[in-house]
Amino acid sequence: MANLAWKNLVYDKVRLSVTLTGIVFALVLVLIQFGLFLGFLDTTANIVAASGADLWITAPGIPHVNGATAIPESRRYKALSVAGVERAEKHNIQFVNWKLPSGAQEAVQIVGFELNSGMGGPWNIVEGSVDDLRGEDTVMVDELYKEKLGVKGIGHVAEIQGKRARVVGFTRAIRSFTTSPYVFTSFKNSQNYARLGPDEMLFLLVKLAPGANAAAVQKALQETIPGVDVYTNAEMRRKTQNYWLFSTGAGVTTLMGAALGLLVGMVVVAQTIYASTVDHIREFGTLKAMGAGNGYVYKVIIQQALISAGFGYVLAIGAGYLVAKGSETGNAAILLPPEMALGTLVLAALMCIGASVISIRKATTIDPALVFKG
Amino acid sequence: MQNRIEIRNLSKVYGEGSTAVKALDGVSLDVRQGETMMLLGPSGSGKTTLLSVMGGILRPTSGSVKVNGIEISNLNETRLPKVRLDNIGFIFQGFNLFPALTTLENVEIAIELRGRSIPKGRARQLLEAVGLGDKLHAYPANLSGGQKQRVAIARALAGNPPIILADEPTAALDSTSGQIVMDLLSNLARQEQRAVVIVTHDARVLHYGDRIVHITDGRMTDLPEAA
Ligand SMILES: Nc1ncnc2c1ncn2[C@@H]1O[C@H](COP(=O)(O)OP(=O)(O)O)[C@@H](O)[C@H]1O
Ligand SMILES: [Mg+2]
Repeated sequence: MANLAWKNLVYDKVRLSVTLTGIVFALVLVLIQFGLFLGFLDTTANIVAASGADLWITAPGIPHVNGATAIPESRRYKALSVAGVERAEKHNIQFVNWKLPSGAQEAVQIVGFELNSGMGGPWNIVEGSVDDLRGEDTVMVDELYKEKLGVKGIGHVAEIQGKRARVVGFTRAIRSFTTSPYVFTSFKNSQNYARLGPDEMLFLLVKLAPGANAAAVQKALQETIPGVDVYTNAEMRRKTQNYWLFSTGAGVTTLMGAALGLLVGMVVVAQTIYASTVDHIREFGTLKAMGAGNGYVYKVIIQQALISAGFGYVLAIGAGYLVAKGSETGNAAILLPPEMALGTLVLAALMCIGASVISIRKATTIDPALVFKG
Repeated sequence: MQNRIEIRNLSKVYGEGSTAVKALDGVSLDVRQGETMMLLGPSGSGKTTLLSVMGGILRPTSGSVKVNGIEISNLNETRLPKVRLDNIGFIFQGFNLFPALTTLENVEIAIELRGRSIPKGRARQLLEAVGLGDKLHAYPANLSGGQKQRVAIARALAGNPPIILADEPTAALDSTSGQIVMDLLSNLARQEQRAVVIVTHDARVLHYGDRIVHITDGRMTDLPEAA
């Protein structure tokens, strides 16, 4: 029986390639759109996810991590007095202007972190080290944005808000969801670049003492410190992701693209599988005349669909993987995690079975006129 | 001799109301074990409809159909396949072989339908018996019409059915191949004691029948010798 499904498929190679094209088209579209969505999800809040902080203390009512306003430095001592707080470190993320060699300005986001804190600093460092940021006026940028920022290599000197900035290191694949790349520097430097007062900061990053309960400490901080919001790292991440993905429409657009890809793909696949069933309708009628029950005919049709799905899946994952690989150095990351690969397999199977179910009705009644025709 | 098929007062109406077509009108006949019955009539007279009802492919509008003693006129679609599987071998004018399968596989699939109760080697034996021992791995597209119909006969015999129903089996064949096919079919009745019904309007093959039943406008025009 697997024999008949398999042989019917390879017998008509033109139809098989049309079917596979439809399946691959649909799946690749879904993979790319959904991968783009996951990439956005990852990029929008990478700076929060990789911060290593347990809690974020901010001015009240900020919309997202890239839109904070200043709070007084004295809040730090209040925070340190709360039980369960191991560290509370000053931190800045602020839009500033970076001067290109041409004289033009490019907006960047300066990230100022306490070098000894182990929180909020750069990751994936490929050249230089955090220690290099101890020097005055030193910064670290991502390889991805070398060209955009006019940076040739280590030692390049630019200006941020009219102040000297010397590149001492590079990170890899730290994307910014906005058009403004992240530029890492020490908290002290950032205060300078961002024109903050000597007793101002945008965030306090809190590290909990071992065994401390995050929710309890969060609540205590909120009650102890006047005029701030306290977020867990996950809350800050979600807040930032939601803002960039859903307030800007970027997320909805990619999700709709994925849904549309799925829809178009289903129609294409349903159409080819249906046409294939209709093509074989006389064979199915013959099978039934020979004594096969409907179950047998269903199995042949579904096996054909599953075999098609399997091949389409392998081709689509291959193509998706290449696209994801290529996107690593491109403008937007397309992520293809194993869960998504697995999900796509299930999707391919469901799509093909769904498509064949539509055509199964066609094959359940034998039309004698068809079977006996000359 | 035992009756393999007993039909009583059978009618079949296609459609409803003003578009209704009465394809069979009060047909009664028996087909006995070991006989070849020729069903003769002009185009549109109801021959295919009668064969479909006998073979459990089509439900009659009224009347009774017994296949090997089983009343099938009111069996539903979940029970009819088993009746066909156990009792009937169909031969079609258009052969209806599976084009993607070899000669051998075309017969094997009929064996496979019956589970493991029939030894695999049977497919080869059946093909050898119809003179196609040297075409086991050929595809239908590479066979002549007569060869295709012989594959179809081998396939119809896979389950060793007591009844063979053939609808214009020689219509698409030249007279030499037609004769080979008719020899094979009538031998199935004579030597193997099956009941064979052959629909035809080909006068050249009528002499193969033990009995000829004429049908016109859904009615039998010669009375069968009721048992
Ligand atoms: N599915 C159908 N729906 C309506 N009319 C049909 C159908 N099948 C056959 N008929 C009609 O029934 C009559 C008998 O058809 P058929 O049994 O195919 O005759 P034969 O095989 O003798 O040529 C014809 O008038 C034909 O048009
Ligand atoms: Mg006919």
